[in-house]
Amino acid sequence: MADSAEQARIDQSLVARALRGDDRGAFEQLVRRHQGMVRAQLRRLLHGDVAAADDLAQETFLLAWRKLDQFRSDARFSTWLHRIAYSCFLQASRTSSWAARHAQDDAMEQLPAPAQAMDLHLDLARAMRHLSAAEQAVLLHCVQLGLSHEEAAYVLAMPLGTVKTHATRGKAKLKTWLAAWHGAAGEERIP
Amino acid sequence: MNPGHDDDLDALLRQSFDGPTADGGFSESVMRRLPPRRRRPSLWPLAAGILVGTVLCALSLSGSSLWNAAWRGWRVGDGSGATLIVLSTMAAMSLLALAWTLAEADDH
Repeated sequence: MADSAEQARIDQSLVARALRGDDRGAFEQLVRRHQGMVRAQLRRLLHGDVAAADDLAQETFLLAWRKLDQFRSDARFSTWLHRIAYSCFLQASRTSSWAARHAQDDAMEQLPAPAQAMDLHLDLARAMRHLSAAEQAVLLHCVQLGLSHEEAAYVLAMPLGTVKTHATRGKAKLKTWLAAWHGAAGEERIP
Repeated sequence: MNPGHDDDLDALLRQSFDGPTADGGFSESVMRRLPPRRRRPSLWPLAAGILVGTVLCALSLSGSSLWNAAWRGWRVGDGSGATLIVLSTMAAMSLLALAWTLAEADDH
């Protein structure tokens, strides 16, 4: 927690430097500090389309540079970036051919699953893709990116109650679909 | 690991996440594309422009019979043709200014 507060303080100081003297060096440090998580977020949202994710990540940081004076320190800088990235993703999925390609991928995912579950991770990945887009987005931000429910609500522009509902429903669905693994508890050890 | 338990499911989800992506030249590529930041224009030229424009507008309209008729009608609460013409023109100008402002804000 203290570490997180310290990171937020460093970000704020870099933002102030970037704004005060048009300091590109300070902004470069911000990019280096946060590009990893922003690109990981977009890769997940784009189901592993690395090139498209990196294009959107570039767009995210260029937008952040232009709108830096609109950053308010009531949110963490990383959360603010995730919000811009998610907006870029939504805009791109409305306008680009990526959405059509993704729909085709989804159609392939609807093919019957092998009767014998081979691997818990594969089953989890398959189960995740059968969640609604909102449930996937909420679980990605709340569990995998480690944001609080409040931060996820800010990033996804959803009411807090909706975020909590999607998280609960998403997890309940995953538990149901992965129920076959209950019996294997204790056998599966993930390093 | 039992994915039927909340904590185990969370742990499983976190393990299936690859974590931060390695930089691999990404930051340099962003910095190369970074445009110079536009300075926020100071507000006083805008305020002075509005003031000067209003004064000039009032001076140029002061001799107009249409304006005088509209002003008299407005003061006595009479919705004459002149009043309606002047009010419609002002409304149209305001809408044009609003549309222009929104378009500019969108571009930025």
